[in-house]
Amino acid sequence: MKNWIQAFAVVDFISVGILLTAIAMSAFRRLEACVRTYTLNSWLLSSLIAIVAFMIGETHLYVAAALTLITKGILLPLFLRRIVRQMKVARDAEPYIQNALSLTISGILVAVVYASLREGIFVSGFSKYVLQISIAVILIGLFTMITRRKAITQVIGLLFMENGLFLAGFSLTLGMPIIIELGVLFDMLMGVIILGIFAVQIKKVFTSSNLDKLTVLKG
Amino acid sequence: METEVSATALLLIPVITAFVCYLLKNEKLIGYVSFAGSLVLAGVSVPVVFAASSSPVQLMGGALFMDSLSTYIMAIVIVLGFASSAYSIGYLEHELKVGLTSAIWMRRYYMLLHLFIFTMLLVTVVNNLAVLWIAVEATTIVSAVLIGSGFRKRDLAIEAAWKYIILCTVGITFALLGTFITYYASIAVMGTEGSLNWTDLRAIARQLNPSTMKLAFIFILVGYGTKAGLAPVHNWLPDAHSQAPTPISALLSGILLNTAFYGIMRFVSIVEPSTGTAFTGNLLILFGLLSIGLASVFILVQDNYKRLLAYSSIEHMGIISLGVGIGGPIGMYGALLHILNHALSKPLMFFASGKIQAHYGSTKIEKVGGVLTSMPLLGTFIFIGALSLAAMPPFNIFISEFSVLKAGADKGLWTVIGLFLAFAVIVFYGLLSGFGRMLFEKGIEKDVVSSGFSSCRTTRIPNIIGNSVMFFMAAAIILLGLHVPSFIDGTIRNCIEALGVR
Repeated sequence: MKNWIQAFAVVDFISVGILLTAIAMSAFRRLEACVRTYTLNSWLLSSLIAIVAFMIGETHLYVAAALTLITKGILLPLFLRRIVRQMKVARDAEPYIQNALSLTISGILVAVVYASLREGIFVSGFSKYVLQISIAVILIGLFTMITRRKAITQVIGLLFMENGLFLAGFSLTLGMPIIIELGVLFDMLMGVIILGIFAVQIKKVFTSSNLDKLTVLKG
Repeated sequence: METEVSATALLLIPVITAFVCYLLKNEKLIGYVSFAGSLVLAGVSVPVVFAASSSPVQLMGGALFMDSLSTYIMAIVIVLGFASSAYSIGYLEHELKVGLTSAIWMRRYYMLLHLFIFTMLLVTVVNNLAVLWIAVEATTIVSAVLIGSGFRKRDLAIEAAWKYIILCTVGITFALLGTFITYYASIAVMGTEGSLNWTDLRAIARQLNPSTMKLAFIFILVGYGTKAGLAPVHNWLPDAHSQAPTPISALLSGILLNTAFYGIMRFVSIVEPSTGTAFTGNLLILFGLLSIGLASVFILVQDNYKRLLAYSSIEHMGIISLGVGIGGPIGMYGALLHILNHALSKPLMFFASGKIQAHYGSTKIEKVGGVLTSMPLLGTFIFIGALSLAAMPPFNIFISEFSVLKAGADKGLWTVIGLFLAFAVIVFYGLLSGFGRMLFEKGIEKDVVSSGFSSCRTTRIPNIIGNSVMFFMAAAIILLGLHVPSFIDGTIRNCIEALGVR
């Protein structure tokens, strides 16, 4: 089994899958599709952790993988889907830039990250590409947050950033102690729930789920 | 053992108070219960603060760690928490009367207020830097709900809360990456079982890889800097501070910014030994000056007094950053004293401006006039607070700003000092012209809305409590300007030693 994983470079395939789901998310306009890509992304992240745990034989990583699957792979997507249905918005409004352009920019981001981290400040144990990929996912998430108008797409961008961050942390240190992962996940869960409630309120108060209306406060 | 019990009590009391407040159905009683809770908290904290400020205390197998810096920030959290819950009684009673909040939100408010205090206390007592991150993020989440609290009645509050939570969460994500990188650096030194305990990292700080730590520090500075309101990632701050309920504005400005900056200070002390003081110092000076400069411009053109105060917070955080950046015992002394001074002056101003907002029904400077004649006591508080914030001698902030300046002069950083002084002059003019107009200009005729506001005054007892809190803060501002008491002086000196500043 271990040989099989190494021979087919399964870890690299999964991490590339994580990158591709992030890029796909930056082009999707339907909100439910965005939520679904996020779910896929989280499942890939969780399975990556589980496979690495299997390869190096660290039992506590299985717990981390399970926690990731429960919070990011099941609870958050369910919550997000509920919010999306409750707000009755199927599609994101016209984004600030077109889909083709945002795909191109995502590609450029990946290339820039790859070129700048090629020398490798870090040597990670299980794959040499994972750190590059994770930084690229963080940047794509940030890029999505900047260019989208719906409150929910901003939250999804933030979640992609956090997935990228978890991947980066995992590739650097093989994960934090479980108690800390638990705390971070709990914070994240609470944060997203609050954001979801706020998003529904924005829709009620401003009678629009576009963030363009949030421009009263400035200067 | 005794310290262990009282330290645990310290963390438990706010949580218990929060739940008691939420379960209480009586609207009159709830404010006093919260007041009593923070009074008990202050009482319990005294022995812990005194024990830990002289010699560091480690509890629960090193999970909790308190040294003089922790207790210094912790004491400010507790004092301001006390002041805020005292002021809240009258404030919420008024809000309930004019129909800006509801009974259920009042209960939630008090619960969240005490949870907010709890999360800030947690920031100061944890040893593990990742737990520190968790606690800082928890402060964001709790305070975001507080800013948006009662948002059915206030459309702008939800806009402010949204901006706040999104910007701070994104920012602080980078701090977590910085923490991961620090963990990575510690693994390289300590073997497979790396550590994120500040005490362990401090012990091996010299051996950590300098280039890794440089990268980590940049992420940390961006992350916690967003939360501390340093420019150019300060955009959430004026909105949040102007839209939050007044007692929360006071807490946000007086101490929340400082708890985030506390994280930066902890990291500086473990990054500095390997990278040298120039790297961290120059970055902090750069962001400090940027914050002061940017805030000074916005203070000059501001027409909303709550936003004016918020921009003044950015300026003062810039000065603290500048003090830590210039470094040396004097610079650090100035920065730490400035934290205390700002934590007294700014909440006083927010408390007073909350009363003005209730009276005039507007946050525009031009809608307010003749405060000194119509409300002499409140006017005096604002006068004292404004002079202090503008760093007028002999008030407290002058002393700490002067220490920062002196540290810069000793190191021969003349460009930095020149820019700082120029910005300080602009701030001086902007602040005093704004508040001077509110205090001295002829009273203007009130419109219908505002007279409606002023007709329902708060009842007597909450008013007396609120005013006496403001009175004590004003008195402290004047006394600290004349003389820094020896126990504060000693604690700050211990902090400088604990952070290893030479």
